[in-house]
Amino acid sequence: MTETPAPSVTYGPPEGYAAGATRDLVVDLHRRMVRIRMFEESAGKLVESGDMPGFLHLYVGQEAVAAGVMSVLDDVDQITSTHRGHGHAIAKGAEFRPMFAELYGKTTGYCKGRGGSMHIVDMSRGMLGANAIVGGGIPIAIGAAFAAQYRGDGSVAASFFGDGATNIGAFHESVNMAAVWDLPVLFVCENNGYAEFTAQGNHMRLDDIAERANSYGIPGVVVDGMDALAVRAVAKIAVDRAKRGEGPTLIEAKTYRYFDHQGIKGMRIPYRDPAEVEAWKARDAIRLLEVIGVERGLATPEDFAATWAQTEAEIADAIEFARSSPDPDPADILDDVYTV
Amino acid sequence: MNTRELTYVKAFNEGMHQIMAEDPDVFLIGEDVAGYGGVFHMFDGLLTAYGDKRVKDTPIAEQAIIGLGVGAAARGLRPVCDLMFMDFIGVAMDQIFNQAAKMKYMFGGAVSVPLTITTAGGAGMSAAAQHSQSLEAWLAHIPGLKVAMPASPYDAKGLIVGAIRDDNPVIVVLNKKMLGVKGPVPEELYAIPLGVANVVREGDDVTIVAIGRMVIEATKAAASLGELGISAEVIDPRTVQPLDIGTIVTSAKKTNRVLIVHEAVEFGGIGAEISSQVQESAFDYLDAPVTRLAAPFAPVPYAPILESAYVPDAARITAAARKLVERS
Amino acid sequence: MAIEVLLPKLGLTMEEGTVDEWLVNDGDLIAVGTPLLRLATDKIDVDVEAESEGILAKAVPNGTTLAPGSVLGWLLAPGEAAPGGAVAPAAAPTAPAAHLGRQLVSPNARRVAQELGIDIAALRGTGPGGRVVSEDVEESALAQPTKVTSPLARRDAQLAGIDVNGLPTDTGYVTRKDVREAISGQGSGTPASTAPISPAPAVIPPGQESSSIIPLKGMRGTIAARMVQSLTEMAQLTHGYEVCTDSVVELRGTLKEQYRDFGLQVPSLNDFVVRAAALALRKHPILNATIVDREIHLLRRIHMGMAVAVPGGLMVPVIRDADTLSIFELARATRDLAESCRSGSISLDALEGGSFAVTSLGTYGVDFFTPVINPGNVGILGVGRLRDSGRWDDDRFVKTQVLTLSLTFDHRAVDGAPAAEFLQTIAELLARPLVLLPGA
Repeated sequence: MTETPAPSVTYGPPEGYAAGATRDLVVDLHRRMVRIRMFEESAGKLVESGDMPGFLHLYVGQEAVAAGVMSVLDDVDQITSTHRGHGHAIAKGAEFRPMFAELYGKTTGYCKGRGGSMHIVDMSRGMLGANAIVGGGIPIAIGAAFAAQYRGDGSVAASFFGDGATNIGAFHESVNMAAVWDLPVLFVCENNGYAEFTAQGNHMRLDDIAERANSYGIPGVVVDGMDALAVRAVAKIAVDRAKRGEGPTLIEAKTYRYFDHQGIKGMRIPYRDPAEVEAWKARDAIRLLEVIGVERGLATPEDFAATWAQTEAEIADAIEFARSSPDPDPADILDDVYTV
Repeated sequence: MNTRELTYVKAFNEGMHQIMAEDPDVFLIGEDVAGYGGVFHMFDGLLTAYGDKRVKDTPIAEQAIIGLGVGAAARGLRPVCDLMFMDFIGVAMDQIFNQAAKMKYMFGGAVSVPLTITTAGGAGMSAAAQHSQSLEAWLAHIPGLKVAMPASPYDAKGLIVGAIRDDNPVIVVLNKKMLGVKGPVPEELYAIPLGVANVVREGDDVTIVAIGRMVIEATKAAASLGELGISAEVIDPRTVQPLDIGTIVTSAKKTNRVLIVHEAVEFGGIGAEISSQVQESAFDYLDAPVTRLAAPFAPVPYAPILESAYVPDAARITAAARKLVERS
Repeated sequence: MAIEVLLPKLGLTMEEGTVDEWLVNDGDLIAVGTPLLRLATDKIDVDVEAESEGILAKAVPNGTTLAPGSVLGWLLAPGEAAPGGAVAPAAAPTAPAAHLGRQLVSPNARRVAQELGIDIAALRGTGPGGRVVSEDVEESALAQPTKVTSPLARRDAQLAGIDVNGLPTDTGYVTRKDVREAISGQGSGTPASTAPISPAPAVIPPGQESSSIIPLKGMRGTIAARMVQSLTEMAQLTHGYEVCTDSVVELRGTLKEQYRDFGLQVPSLNDFVVRAAALALRKHPILNATIVDREIHLLRRIHMGMAVAVPGGLMVPVIRDADTLSIFELARATRDLAESCRSGSISLDALEGGSFAVTSLGTYGVDFFTPVINPGNVGILGVGRLRDSGRWDDDRFVKTQVLTLSLTFDHRAVDGAPAAEFLQTIAELLARPLVLLPGA
């Protein structure tokens, strides 16, 4: 750990960040996370059973980041996502039916079967698209933020990316330009410790990626990415700042993915210590919120159980919908390349 | 319609002024486009006229310039992102070919990207290998992009307006060596639709398809050929993507001989595509192999003597056309 | 030792041939069998192949017309001097492959040639590398010897309806200026047609224009000349005569059935008619005759000409001693000759010496027509369509199959009654087709 952090980097949300939490908020955050987890685990099984095509980068373990940030965004606020983007889409309000249909490559999918797992989009929810190029969505997010500033519509943008993406030129170019122009954007780095299979210590000298904010003259903040309330708290501060016209914030949420870079079967190579995986799972974000909620009397175990049950039913319905949806027609293969 | 003589760059600049006046969603970003008006004066006066909210200098950050344009365009604005020299496009290529080009398709039509990228290409000024390239084939190869290459002042204005009004990502490649070329330009705002070739000169004996500045050289060559009794038709595709192959094939069927000229390297160039499509569509109308005249497979050299050997010119076009129609 | 390349004698009556085009270059190293040049005669064009190897030294240019046996060039050893003076290069050069054995033709030239019915093989290519280009075809269609012109001059001339070949030019190269001068001086008369087959100067009717032009030269010219000659020199008339073919049809049916498993070819209806005609000629020699100097010469041998349609015209190859052949030999000979004509590999000899001819339009649905006698013969038999008819068999009306024979004969030699008797004989033979099977 760096002993003397740069002055502009803060650690964690302010004291008492969870004090104002309500039942509605806890249930809402919980619901977003449960929807992500159940979707991901179902999708993973469907691909590995061969029922569904493609391959998946699953978000399981990182749910608190998407849930926390999205809980302070509205539909008019835009996000850009990553190859590991299902969680962002679901937390932003995307529906299961068109998501599963897209994964099945059906016409009823979000992209009519053109995009698949890595390109879920929902313009009605401000989900500007998942992106299969690491760092590819970051410049697009500053474009969305620019549009908000240009129109003065009071909306903000948020870009999600991993620790690996902060080594890419697009990250530096975008954060710098957003800083120079005070664009209303949140740069949300989900630091899960690995750039694909390469540990953070092998791809950068920093422990805290938030320190990179110093280079661009903007605030950086480190937050526990397993604590949805904490993530929400720092995101709220960043959104307010952006809406005041004070420019971007770099949020580093320290989190962990339970599955491999791709798929659910686990590790092809022992690049992670099993003890490390178990240690993170012990702090599971959903479990943590359930404990906090019950301990503080904000919600009951029945509230949480109802969400799990309801989500399970929705998943089953969406899979059935996707399976029975029509396949795309190869005759339409040239549609939407460009308008003539 | 009142028409007067304008230079290529002034015509382009007038198009920018008029479209920005017409459409408040149009904005311009790029390196030195605001205060300096662009290194080629393409953007003179725009900052004064439309203010620093709509005309902005950027850091030297091509990925962010284009990416910002992609995001803003996806949100419904009509960004013009300048890349100064076409050679710099490589720095921004991910945003161009993975993001801008594919968004509409891979999102199932849910997103449109009405983004215009302006840049200047072409050799002939001893700007050497990294400031002289013609990379249109590279871009035209990517489904989702449109590529316009104005070859006259009239087209410089009409194509930038057409590009900005188009709902797709369009790269408008000006030619550095043509900036001072004069020609008639209407005063009013007008747009040239993308994908419609210009038959610059009609002829019967040989079709010369020329791209970008080569249109000027081909037109000169056509005049020389006329003195030799050879009637050359000169076609400027205007946009290499979409490519108006119909006009070219119609001409090929009329003249039975086709020469394609561009300053990009010959290997894998647009000429190869045109040649292939012509023989596929008009094989039984050809009296000679479809022939290309283009740059050799080398980076653009610096020394004037090398560079002039590198870029096709009117004399070589004339010779190549004569060879095509030669009879013993 | 220089080996002479001679102009071959391709047929008994061949008097001269024209070097239409050298297919190889002076100085090329020639292998045995390499096509050297295309030779044109009044009947056919053939490629002359090298019978030895060596370095080519040409003695004559394209377009030279000479008698058979004339020296066209030499095949030399490296370094050897040709008798004509040219010296072969010491080191044998490699010949450009494109010239060896393959005529270069642009796709457009092929298309235009097909539209205009022009035989590409007879054209000299003027495009790069000697490629036949569409202009070669179009100029050939205009039946004009090519004069070197600029494309613009050609077009101007075409628009003004001027024959560039009739234009004076001091450079040898017709330019737009020459055409302009010709246009300004027009009215003093355009060059007259010299075609012997078109005695009266004809014009294109007012308000009409040519959509395409087919020159009366080559095979087309030969046909035109011979047909005009035939109709102006002879007193031709035609008998139509219906014959019953039931027996032949029945026999063919039997043969088909029995031959099927053995893959044997069943002679065609036409073969039976030719065979019957050949035998009938034995009985009616007046129709197997020729008129020479006010004398009718009855000919001993029966050489049957048979008309074969080929693209752009027709040929009349000859089956010698046709009356001696079995129907099967006749059928095979007919097939082989027709194939040779269509493939262009027919020899000049095979086109000469017919004493009578048969022509069929039956497959085109024609019943009766008036065939035109080949000059030198006194008759030609036309075979019409096989069609259903009926006849009374006692009180019973039965279906039958018939065809109409159209016999054109030269009244100078043959009168109406003998001609009709000849037809009767054919009809009788066709009624007893087993008689037609054996030869001799």
